[in-house]
Amino acid sequence: MRRVAVVGVGVTKFGKHDRSSAELFAEAARDALADAELSPASVQALYYGNVVGGETEKQLHTGPQAASVLGIPTVPTTRFETACASSHAAFRHAVMEIAAGVSDVVLVGGGERVLNVPTAESTEYFAYASDATWEQPLGLTFPGVFALVARAHMAKYGTTEEQMAAVAVKNHRHGALNPKAQFQKEITLEQVLKSAYVADPLKLYDCCPFTDGGAAVVLASEEVARRRPRAVWVLGSAAASDTMLMHEKKDLARVPTTERAAAAAYRQAGIGPADVDVVELHDCFTIAEIVATEGLGLFEPGTGGIAAEKGWTSLGGKLPVNTSGGLKAKGHPIGATGAAQIAEITTQLRGEAGPRQVEGAHIGLAHTLGGNLATVLVSLFSRD
Amino acid sequence: MTDAVVTSKQFFERARAGTLTAIRCGKCGELALPPKEFCAACQQRAWQPVTLAGDGTIASYTVIRVAPRHHTGEVPYAIAVVRLREGVSLIGRVVDVPLETLAIGLPVRFRPLITDDQTSVGFGPA
Repeated sequence: MRRVAVVGVGVTKFGKHDRSSAELFAEAARDALADAELSPASVQALYYGNVVGGETEKQLHTGPQAASVLGIPTVPTTRFETACASSHAAFRHAVMEIAAGVSDVVLVGGGERVLNVPTAESTEYFAYASDATWEQPLGLTFPGVFALVARAHMAKYGTTEEQMAAVAVKNHRHGALNPKAQFQKEITLEQVLKSAYVADPLKLYDCCPFTDGGAAVVLASEEVARRRPRAVWVLGSAAASDTMLMHEKKDLARVPTTERAAAAAYRQAGIGPADVDVVELHDCFTIAEIVATEGLGLFEPGTGGIAAEKGWTSLGGKLPVNTSGGLKAKGHPIGATGAAQIAEITTQLRGEAGPRQVEGAHIGLAHTLGGNLATVLVSLFSRD
Repeated sequence: MTDAVVTSKQFFERARAGTLTAIRCGKCGELALPPKEFCAACQQRAWQPVTLAGDGTIASYTVIRVAPRHHTGEVPYAIAVVRLREGVSLIGRVVDVPLETLAIGLPVRFRPLITDDQTSVGFGPA
């Protein structure tokens, strides 16, 4: 298998836009190609993440549409849909295509537009990623899914609402340093704790926002990448799946998909959790960050909340998590999120993250979760 | 051709009449709900339908206060994963239980929630 590297990244401002998801992706892809110093003609495939385009934009077949808007309509393209992990799943397949020697340059990315519809409508569309027969008719929402995890985690390990709030405060503090973030404003613990319940025990400030945005990553073979000193190498990229239904999970306080994807990625890379310097992980809700840090082996089961509270996961702490602001503050344009996380890790490992730079970051990890904890992607990266 | 022992449609028809039905693997004894083709534990296909007693305890729960379209008029409402007596779990709405008394471990009992065209899983006081 050939080595694969990230040679270019691009991310739009996250927030509300009046452009289509394909246009948002195309802006990010334009920047990623410029960053890679590669022409659009060098792209041999586009793997694209988009989730609710069929609902919010009445648009299917979003792969060719995105390629057309970018101006590379003849490039083979496929849309990936693994709920919120879509563009990270796209990334993994692009890595495999280059590693296998099929292509030398593959563009990966995603775009999403949801702020053009009311909240009750986007809440419904996001809930399509839970089971249509057994869960959606109950009125289960995504905050509801993670509230079930939060309650179980609180009961099993004693995790508190204050610890969850500490994740929100930390990620907003990081987001304030990211000019692309949807929220560039710090918040206080009290603001989080006093915000209204969305799905008990999760409150408004425990939840990531709805977001429009695009992100793109250019992947290349070693032959192309070794001429580019800012290349960041892919050490491993793994996926795991699990039963969709919340009631079929054996232990709601843990996320076995994260544990299995992480184990596979560490094995591919030949490293362990202790080697990781900087992490972007899937904090769609504050409890999601807590269970992800545990599932990735960064902290013992039950101690993810303590890690946030003690500042271990803050910039300047022992293991900075979500320096971009995470989904919580940077925003969560679902089809673009995985690519945006990989863009942040690439920026960190290049040493180009400015005020949110983790000094000496050498190994980075990106973790993206989809749906009812049913899909997880984990990838590992190195500066050399 | 399908010869599934219990389809989702049959599950909800029986639920509408007040009965919960799971399937048990004749090879390894795994109890499953909803129905599936292969046993996830032993990959065999030797299902037998099992009628469940309908009582269990709350394994986790939430109160939804921001609802999807078509449910906005129902807030606040409670959803729980209930661990049934037989060891299998099921998700449903919790009804007729004051929201402030919801707790992990609270005993509840199955009841169908019936509208004109739809049956969904509910749990009321034990």
